[in-house]
Amino acid sequence: MATFPGQVEGGSARTRAQSALAGIDWWLLGAALGVSAFGIYIVRVATEGDIPSDPGYFFTRQVAYVLIGLVALFFAMRLDLEWLSRYVWTLYAVLLAAVGIVLVLGSTARGSTSWIELGPLRLQPSELGKVVMAFVIAVVLVERIKSMEPARLSLMVAGLTAIPAGMVFLQPDLGTALVYAAIALAMLWVAGQPITHFIVVAVVVGTVAVSVLYLLPAVGVNVLQPYQIDRLTAFVNSGSDRSETGYQLEQSKVAIGSGGAFGKGPEGATQTINDFLPEHHTDFVFAVVAETFGFLGAGLLIALYFLIIWRAMVIMRRAPTELERLMAAGITAMLAFQVFVNIGMNVGIMPITGIPLPFMSYGGSHTLTNLVAIGILLRIGRRGAEQGARVA
Amino acid sequence: MSTLTPLPPDLPPGDDLPPRRRPRRPSRRVLRMTSFMVIVLTLMGVLVARLWFLQVIGGGEYQERAEANRLRTVVTEAPRGAITDRTGAPLVTSREVLNLVADPQQLAGPKGTAVLRRLSVALGHPPGFLAAKVRKAQEARPFEPVVLEKETSPALQAYVQERGGQLPGIRLKAAYVRDYPQGALAAHALGYVGPIPAESADRYRERGYQGNETVGRAGIEAEYEQYLRGIAGREQLEVDARGEVVGRGILSQTPPRPGQALRLSIDLKTQKALEAALRAEVVGSGTSTGAAGVAIDPRTGAVLALASYPTFRPDLFQSGSPRDVQRTLNSPSRPLLDRAIAGEYPAASTYKVISAAAALESGFYTPGETIRSPGNVTLYKTRFQGFRNIDHGIIALPEALEVSSDTFFYELADRSYRRQGWPLQVWSRNFGLGRPTGLDLTEGESRGLVPDLAYKRRTCDRAVDPINCSWRPGDSINMSIGQGNVLVTPIQMAVAYAAIANGGTVVTPTLGRAVVDADGRVLRDLVGARASRPLGLSKDNLDLIRGGLERAANANGGTATPVFGGLPRPFRVAGKTGTAENPSGIDHAWWVGYAPADDPSIVVAILVERGGTGANTAAPVACATIGAYLGFGPNRCGTGAKAN
Repeated sequence: MATFPGQVEGGSARTRAQSALAGIDWWLLGAALGVSAFGIYIVRVATEGDIPSDPGYFFTRQVAYVLIGLVALFFAMRLDLEWLSRYVWTLYAVLLAAVGIVLVLGSTARGSTSWIELGPLRLQPSELGKVVMAFVIAVVLVERIKSMEPARLSLMVAGLTAIPAGMVFLQPDLGTALVYAAIALAMLWVAGQPITHFIVVAVVVGTVAVSVLYLLPAVGVNVLQPYQIDRLTAFVNSGSDRSETGYQLEQSKVAIGSGGAFGKGPEGATQTINDFLPEHHTDFVFAVVAETFGFLGAGLLIALYFLIIWRAMVIMRRAPTELERLMAAGITAMLAFQVFVNIGMNVGIMPITGIPLPFMSYGGSHTLTNLVAIGILLRIGRRGAEQGARVA
Repeated sequence: MSTLTPLPPDLPPGDDLPPRRRPRRPSRRVLRMTSFMVIVLTLMGVLVARLWFLQVIGGGEYQERAEANRLRTVVTEAPRGAITDRTGAPLVTSREVLNLVADPQQLAGPKGTAVLRRLSVALGHPPGFLAAKVRKAQEARPFEPVVLEKETSPALQAYVQERGGQLPGIRLKAAYVRDYPQGALAAHALGYVGPIPAESADRYRERGYQGNETVGRAGIEAEYEQYLRGIAGREQLEVDARGEVVGRGILSQTPPRPGQALRLSIDLKTQKALEAALRAEVVGSGTSTGAAGVAIDPRTGAVLALASYPTFRPDLFQSGSPRDVQRTLNSPSRPLLDRAIAGEYPAASTYKVISAAAALESGFYTPGETIRSPGNVTLYKTRFQGFRNIDHGIIALPEALEVSSDTFFYELADRSYRRQGWPLQVWSRNFGLGRPTGLDLTEGESRGLVPDLAYKRRTCDRAVDPINCSWRPGDSINMSIGQGNVLVTPIQMAVAYAAIANGGTVVTPTLGRAVVDADGRVLRDLVGARASRPLGLSKDNLDLIRGGLERAANANGGTATPVFGGLPRPFRVAGKTGTAENPSGIDHAWWVGYAPADDPSIVVAILVERGGTGANTAAPVACATIGAYLGFGPNRCGTGAKAN
């Protein structure tokens, strides 16, 4: 292992424990743990009736995922990014290989798969890949921002992102691919790349979106599956939509709206417990919160996300190195994008893209990923605080 | 790696402008981070705003929709009450059928669409047929079950039962339809049932009806809706997305309440005889466009028979095709018109009893006085013809009624015109003309018309014929023989003659007799509360008129003697023929009278449109009707031959 710059060597067990806790952003850690615990509770309430023979099926698993995630968080806090940057291309290669394997396995199984099975665990490489991607982009930007022409650098980052994102898209997992894109864009922005690049991106994305969703299908060229288009456009014409997606969206809105100001409580949340709300422990877990605890509870949850993202941004501002600053920006973008798109999908203002709600949705891989991301942020935050103290 | 050297947080390495030269301007790095933060926080704000909109502003609407998702109301239909004749013989009953219904809540989403498509094809419709039907019904009445097919065949029932699991949201549901054991008998009186009409949907909702109920739309079915209506039982269940009952299960329960049975005063055999005779007369005449008949018990006003021809199938609005309904509605013979209570005709000679009563009670004719009654008279420089210009010589009132002299009554009308006080109008109204009789078919009755000065002023054309805006002698003269502008309905004439038959009481005719329970016990008497009032005709005058009516049916010169003259004493009939001038063609035929003459138990009024003379067409129908009620066969009646 490499040196840990922020760590005080030696000392008694007590001082070592004290120093391990020193400089930790308790707001960030507390909010992340709070949302995770709330997530466990909601998964429990929402899924109690799903498997009659095992009411605690999802609950016990989610508890395990969070515990594993906390261990990972602890290790992530001790991870020296500077040391790790030596192995950046190895990491990138592993990411491509893992995502590639999933893609190949998925296509041979003639269906969509995003798992790699490791014994009892089913790992979704594209999830951890988000953090890896952010790290790769951060390293590339830091290494080349002075030496490389801005346009070429932007193109390089775009290319590096597009390869794994493209494979994830083909799985098909459009939502996760979009998260990759959001991470890359936010990091290029924070790195200070010229504003013209973003205008070009906006134009290209707009053109592609209109073409893929409306123009090309009209002339018979289908880039996306019809059900994918359905999911992306359902929120625009909700109500009249009688497709499965339109139905899901309507039920989600009914669940959220019927929660009212103070919610219907776990016993009265009939949209959830009577199964009208689809995917109530994964994609639509926010609707469960909103139905059960109303505007008060849902607003409180959004406030907790606000706290997490706020602290992440403060850490980004105080990051001691450019690498860590960009890494923090990538993670912030990852969390904020997922929170916004998922809740936006629940309340019917964003397309249905299958992006889980960080710390809340049931699932091992993304829980692990998000907690690792928090761990990285906590380390950057502590180093920033020490740096600030030393400068002062 | 030199780029990874720690830097003071506010002195970035990549800044274009050294902070020393422009210290107040924030660096690009800080600008980028700040704008990034602003974007992220704005998006969070958008989420909160949207949440506020959904939950706090729109909460009520979504709560309703969540309840509609969760609650399923199982409706158990209740049969409508039966309608029977006076003896309890069923006229209308309820029969259980199985309807194919869909629960739209369970058919939302693509799976439901697929189920409906499969079912459409199985039923032989185009694939989108049932889905469109459900959507349409949903727009009108959200959350209510939609009837896909009424009165399913056994084959369809088997199909659905075998595939119960594959057709979620589709089920067979018991319902009741009206059955008519006597076919179209008394169709106009009974009326019919049908769905709640869109224009009165709110009124029914206020009275506790569900939108898809079947209600009485006309006749007795509508009049006594409050008793006949069966109130469906409702069970409220909590269900999940698959439609399975969950949690607390039954949340509330009200049992179905069958409708109460209604006993009418209609006498089945009299009704049958009346309808058969009317039909035979109209069909046989070749010229008649319709006919109507009323039989009432003069002592109580109980309606024994009420018929109108042409008639209609009362189940038309329940199970007839829309084309059949349209054809009936638009038919030029107007089969839905109840001519017995809504048809307005000149009263013709049947009115002469009212002329007589007016003259006697006003004192300008004294009993025993004889009047010369030639074939025609000239009054006020106008020549008034009697019927067929027959000279009846010098006669008194009973003979004048017997032979139906017109000129006798012209003389009385002239005296009436010269007196003040409008005796013809007063006595017309005393007998109940000019307003509905109060029969318990309140929606259907016409008022008729008793012309008076106000009517003349209302209807005349001042510019063309100003003199016609006053009451003129000719108006009284025409009115005295029931012509001119006098218009009556058959039920009004029956009530008027009932007052003569029962000794001077104007009764209110009634069809409904009692509301009874399943065992025939009377729950509510419908007759007792009906009003009656004295006619105000003295007994002597009444007897004089009754004598005249008896002669008209039995004496040698009687207009209807050929029909009734051969009947034995217990069945002796009294009554008056009438032949109403019809400006648009052949005359309408009337007969109104009662039997037995000395103790009347039945009054009959018959009208045959374009039937010719009353004696030839209306009187035989009346004879058959009276015979059915009193118990003699139609072969005891003669055929009409003599005029008027």
